[in-house]
Amino acid sequence: METFINPKSLFHLLLLPCLLLYSSIAYNSSPVEAAMHTNNWAVLVCTSRFWFNYRHMANTLSLYRTVKRLGIPDERIILMLADDMACNTRNKYPAQVFNNENHRLNLYGDNVEVDYRGYEVTVENFLRVLTGRHETAVPRSKRLLSDEGSHILLYMTGHGGDEFLKFQDSEELQSHDLADAVKQMKEKHRFKELLIMVDTCQAATLFNQLQSPGVLAIGSSMKGENSYSHHLDSDVGVSVVDRFTYYTLAFFERLNIYDNASLSSLFSSYNPSLLMSTAYYRKDLYKRRLEEVPVTNFFGSVMETIHTDAAYKALSRRNSGRFEDEMSLDQSVHHIERRMLIKVNDGNKIHDINPEGEEGACKCPWSTFRNKFQKAENVDSLVNYGLVAMIPLLVISTWLVQ
Amino acid sequence: MAEISEAQDSDSSKLLDSDSKAPQRPDSEPEFDPKLMRKTKPGLKRLFLTFSVLFSFLLGFPFLWKSVEIYRSPLPFREIDSLSTQLRSETLLFPLHFHTLFVGFDSDPDRLRRSILSEITKLTSQNPKCSDNYTLSVTVDLGSRCLRGSTSSPHSSSYQCGSVTAADFVQNDDVAVDERLASVFGGKTKEYSVAVVKGGSERAVVGKYRHAWMVVGDGSDVGMAALKVAEVLVKVFINGGREEGLIRNEFMPVGADGKIVLSFNLLNADPHDWVYDWDFEKIDDTLLTPMIEALGPVANISVESQVLYHTPKASFSYWNQKLESYVFSTKDLPFFVNSNEWHLDTSIAAGGRSKILQFAVYVPSAKECPLLLQLPNGEISNTNGFISPMWGGVIVWNPQGCLKDSEFKPSAKNIIPIQDLENMFEVFIGQFRQLFGFKSLNVYTGASGDWNLLPSKRGFTEWELDVLSRQHTCFNLHSCATTLGSLSRLVQSLPRMIIKDEIGKQVKLSLEAAKLALSNASSGVYESSAASSSQARSLAEDAFFHPSIMSVSYYSFEHCFAVYSPFFLPVSMHVVLAALRELKRYKQEKAKYLAWKAKANTAT
Repeated sequence: METFINPKSLFHLLLLPCLLLYSSIAYNSSPVEAAMHTNNWAVLVCTSRFWFNYRHMANTLSLYRTVKRLGIPDERIILMLADDMACNTRNKYPAQVFNNENHRLNLYGDNVEVDYRGYEVTVENFLRVLTGRHETAVPRSKRLLSDEGSHILLYMTGHGGDEFLKFQDSEELQSHDLADAVKQMKEKHRFKELLIMVDTCQAATLFNQLQSPGVLAIGSSMKGENSYSHHLDSDVGVSVVDRFTYYTLAFFERLNIYDNASLSSLFSSYNPSLLMSTAYYRKDLYKRRLEEVPVTNFFGSVMETIHTDAAYKALSRRNSGRFEDEMSLDQSVHHIERRMLIKVNDGNKIHDINPEGEEGACKCPWSTFRNKFQKAENVDSLVNYGLVAMIPLLVISTWLVQ
Repeated sequence: MAEISEAQDSDSSKLLDSDSKAPQRPDSEPEFDPKLMRKTKPGLKRLFLTFSVLFSFLLGFPFLWKSVEIYRSPLPFREIDSLSTQLRSETLLFPLHFHTLFVGFDSDPDRLRRSILSEITKLTSQNPKCSDNYTLSVTVDLGSRCLRGSTSSPHSSSYQCGSVTAADFVQNDDVAVDERLASVFGGKTKEYSVAVVKGGSERAVVGKYRHAWMVVGDGSDVGMAALKVAEVLVKVFINGGREEGLIRNEFMPVGADGKIVLSFNLLNADPHDWVYDWDFEKIDDTLLTPMIEALGPVANISVESQVLYHTPKASFSYWNQKLESYVFSTKDLPFFVNSNEWHLDTSIAAGGRSKILQFAVYVPSAKECPLLLQLPNGEISNTNGFISPMWGGVIVWNPQGCLKDSEFKPSAKNIIPIQDLENMFEVFIGQFRQLFGFKSLNVYTGASGDWNLLPSKRGFTEWELDVLSRQHTCFNLHSCATTLGSLSRLVQSLPRMIIKDEIGKQVKLSLEAAKLALSNASSGVYESSAASSSQARSLAEDAFFHPSIMSVSYYSFEHCFAVYSPFFLPVSMHVVLAALRELKRYKQEKAKYLAWKAKANTAT
């Protein structure tokens, strides 16, 4: 797998807003006191296009199959695939994707629900999924509707480098962007615990900026290391799986939903000589001991259940067949009206808000202006720096003239 | 540069010209030095040209500034800060008025009041976020006249002496007594009353409005009664009879937009064996609608239903010969819901931030019918149901006569009998209450004795709704304040981010709603404070999650600077330099001219 060297100087300018954004969120800390773990979510992302990246899609689909087998329902899995290898004309096995040359398991069988496909897989959409800032028309199935009791598995694979992950050959997800999104998720109690699993070159660098508590991260390789593919399928003609994912799957194939294998057993199952890279995990933000956390806390879904002791016997005093006496005709008509009215009301609400909004905006342009200038202090200093930087130019030009 | 140097050349040639003219003149000024003086006035044309270029640049600057400006709707940062500091510094106090009526006792009301108050303070636990500011008034009814405590709330004065007598409580019908008390205490006032009546068979009941009554034996001690009264006031009327336990108070199953969608699912595990249908509309109208209306202030609830086929459960049960049924142990319940086959979340009505609560009736297939749930202590569950917090509930319903396998031949399509459906929905209401943290047992067991709780046809009694409203208001206001606080910090940290009018509008409305909720809460109007607090929260969330707030979509000021400076800075530098140079030259030439003029003056 080739390594991309980050043209740092260019991106430096773009990074600053993210930094600001995230420092702003840093000092809000009102931790929800040990909420109960109620549900599991998985966000699985394959970020590379093109046929020779077949293995990335196979990686993601294998993980998808595993978490589904271990109990996370489809509506709680956000699957993002940047390309469609199954329908690629070079695919010798149309509509099938394999992660092993023995071709025993078709990953693209029935019931694969891809939420974001092809050019929809962008950094922006990825961050929207994490932070929850969607357009109103985005359906529920494409949203990460997690809450303060959720455990989220975030799996990403593609081509990466020092503190970035490439999306679609055209843009990068910076480690700052990821940390910023995670911070915002934490702020809005969108997860209780988050496991980030990354299979790229120099994957560990992507976690450098993370700061939010409750985040556990594991990457396939350290800084300066590459992640390699496991084997080449001579029928398909490309490599079909990456080493790190291959050994992860090997670990999970032995498990079923009832197992309590711990995360530490997963992490210790990675053998650097087999991976040809060093799997790195960052656990300083994670409070629980890894030996005590079953892998099904992230890779599966075990429901928290409470038995219902009693029914609410409000009606038992009365006789059966009471419906007809209770309900007069116009009452039931009223209920039907209620059903109809809900939608109409929703429509009205939008209209009500608009005119007032315009009024609010043009009310006090002066205070807007003043606000802007108050906030512009560091902007001023920047301008000053720019002018100072211009001095050499000035000196040269005057020197040239004389 | 070349232009300037050229200009200098031409300038010097001009000077030369004037020099060449000089010898032609008469020798009036013999000491004229061409290096220091000139005879003609320096021209203004060049100066004018360079300065007009400079001024056009300066004039253009505001237009440029305007063109790169971004629109930021003004947000009321100061008000947001004051809201969060207000909520943080002073806890939200909900006023509660308690009224205790003693019938048939002859004691000093002030002494009773003191003893009840001391018990109440012992029992209340302080919530750091929201607490209750209670007042207590005690009335002792002697039939003909009343002894009132020296400090009585304005509400309790509405009580007419002698309107409650021991004879009212003789009848065994608790519901009738409840209605009678409701008419006496005026069911509409927000006052929690406890009537203690001497004489008759011992009984303690909490009604479905805001009062409770207690009948004690003739010889009983007034101190014990006071203890029990204090307990019912704190544990039932303040805390709602809930225990800090499995379901935490933070887990309010209400979406961030204040909506809940109740999705009822009838799951036919195997349609080859039998298919059941239900008359959902009828049950919706009779059972669910009153409950939804009652919960209106807390949440905007809508109902959906669907019937699904081919929905096997995920785990196996085993045959129990003694019970003649299949038994499913509760420790396997986490694996009951088969999330890959139960496609429950099919709602199109639910918005992105609404909460969907799934309620599922599981009709087992023939090879596992009847299916019973077994508790850890070996007993069989009498509701045959369980909940999962924040998700919903499941009930297993066994069709009639599925045991008699040979004779029982169900038709292609069956309807669940209405009686079964009612029982089922009573369990569902119990589960719904459980999701909110309420128990559905009709008895509250306290430290000093049991209380019967009268159920309400609306699913939640008045005092339970009050508890929910108070808790909901508290939760929503704090959530709204933290959301707005995060938003304001975010907005202030990104000076180049566009802030749409919509966001400004939502923040403004949210603050207004929050203020309204605060004032309503402090004056004790729980319903409207709950409603406006949930509106405040939902608007704050809308503003925070507005899709236009994405850090990657905006460039910093540095970016703007980096884009424009390569063009503007070199150009503007030359324009400014040229202007300065011209000014300098003009001053020099003028000084020369003035020097000559001064000399000429002295000469003449």
